[in-house]
Amino acid sequence: MASQIYKKFQHLLQSSPPSSSLQAHSVRRSHSLPSRDHYIRTTITMAIQIYGIPVSVAVRRALVAFKELNVPYELIIVDAIKGENKSPEHVQFHPFGKIPYMRDPETGLALYESRAMARYIVNKYDEDGKSGLIPHEAVAAAKFEQAAAVEITRYEPHVNRLAEELFYKPRLLQLETDDAVVTKSLAGLNQTLDVYDDILSKQKYLAGDFVTLADLFHLPVGTLLTESVKLDVLTTDTRPNVQRWWKDISSRPSWVVISGDRAPLA
Amino acid sequence: MVLKFYGHPFSTCSLRVATILKEYNVPFELIVVDVSKGAHKAPDYLKIQPFGQVPYIDDDGFILYESRAIGRYIAAKHRASGPALLPDVNTETQKYAKFEQAASVEAWNFDFYASKAAAELIFKPMRGLTPDEARAKELLESLENNLDVYDKILASQKYVAGDDITLADLFHISYGNLLHSAKHINLEDTKRPNVARWWKDITSRPSWQAVKGGVSSSA
Repeated sequence: MASQIYKKFQHLLQSSPPSSSLQAHSVRRSHSLPSRDHYIRTTITMAIQIYGIPVSVAVRRALVAFKELNVPYELIIVDAIKGENKSPEHVQFHPFGKIPYMRDPETGLALYESRAMARYIVNKYDEDGKSGLIPHEAVAAAKFEQAAAVEITRYEPHVNRLAEELFYKPRLLQLETDDAVVTKSLAGLNQTLDVYDDILSKQKYLAGDFVTLADLFHLPVGTLLTESVKLDVLTTDTRPNVQRWWKDISSRPSWVVISGDRAPLA
Repeated sequence: MVLKFYGHPFSTCSLRVATILKEYNVPFELIVVDVSKGAHKAPDYLKIQPFGQVPYIDDDGFILYESRAIGRYIAAKHRASGPALLPDVNTETQKYAKFEQAASVEAWNFDFYASKAAAELIFKPMRGLTPDEARAKELLESLENNLDVYDKILASQKYVAGDDITLADLFHISYGNLLHSAKHINLEDTKRPNVARWWKDITSRPSWQAVKGGVSSSA
């Protein structure tokens, strides 16, 4: 499995100049595991270390901020599919036994929760707020927090359950889908997206006319449902503004690169 | 103009906002949205809060919804004149990051289970519906497991984001209190001494004491 991961990154390591958005990053196995210490380092030595697997939706949610700002990172494999995240050596860094978590060698900061990690990267590397990913001005910032809160309360719970029932259970856990849960979650998601369509008819993105992390946080599970489960909730013509918005954010180069990496499932 | 607070005296999310308004002594006028009569689903209401929920605020014409977003807005706006519940993102970047970590933990490892358990065990019966006992049991179990993790975290720091109290701690109170008072969980359980210490600390704050019996317009 490790060699497949390294193969996937070969093309990035060979072809990308550091300043492009397809920034090379290195991958290595966590060295607490009994495996040969294969790793390819092409990044500067102070690269932030992220622990997880490329295919994890939560890892991707954090990585999108890195890619947006060209912040180098080193992805250290903690194979959650095999349950490595629950082992003592990992629980000491992430007490809830999840991925991702990160360590910034420059500041010594250890952090978990993908949204907190993404926010940290934007706050640290875009202090002036030029990217707009987290607005600074008081009203714009409040609207960003409102949109970010809606993502957590009105979007993620539904898409999370749909992903569990329609993807993880059948394909990874060999469990049966609970149709009642699917029906309820789809109804909730459609309700939310109907409201989104109205909001997005008046402004380009969820927090206003500029893209923010609140939009990007929708990408990982949304993409899983659209591409792997083939749900059309985000792409349907019946919600033209959501369709437009989804097409916009999911075609961002930063996201295209991240979502293309399906290791270790590919 | 006095801040207009559209909510309900006993709604958990209204209580969450009210606590923070009290922390900063922000005067407000409570305009009750009668959720028992479905006022929050009326077309005029949906024009302002399109998800049909309470609360929202009207701060001199600026409308904001989502209780945590409102809390953050209030804390940022009144930073100079109130308690330091929100680290400064520019001068305390790492401390702020730990706050965001704690805020995310509250949303996904606490509220995710607590609010759904409350919906089954408390809100459904209130509306004359039958709770799904099996689901509620599952949710409470997950919550208990996560509280065990909280106890480990709180063994080496006073509050969820570090040694200083933040909004992330306060966000837990309204749902925590709802389940604790109804004895579905015990946040003062001696088997989790750190959680008990933390819970007693945050719920003893004057802000929560002032609103826990129900929100009303401030003086």
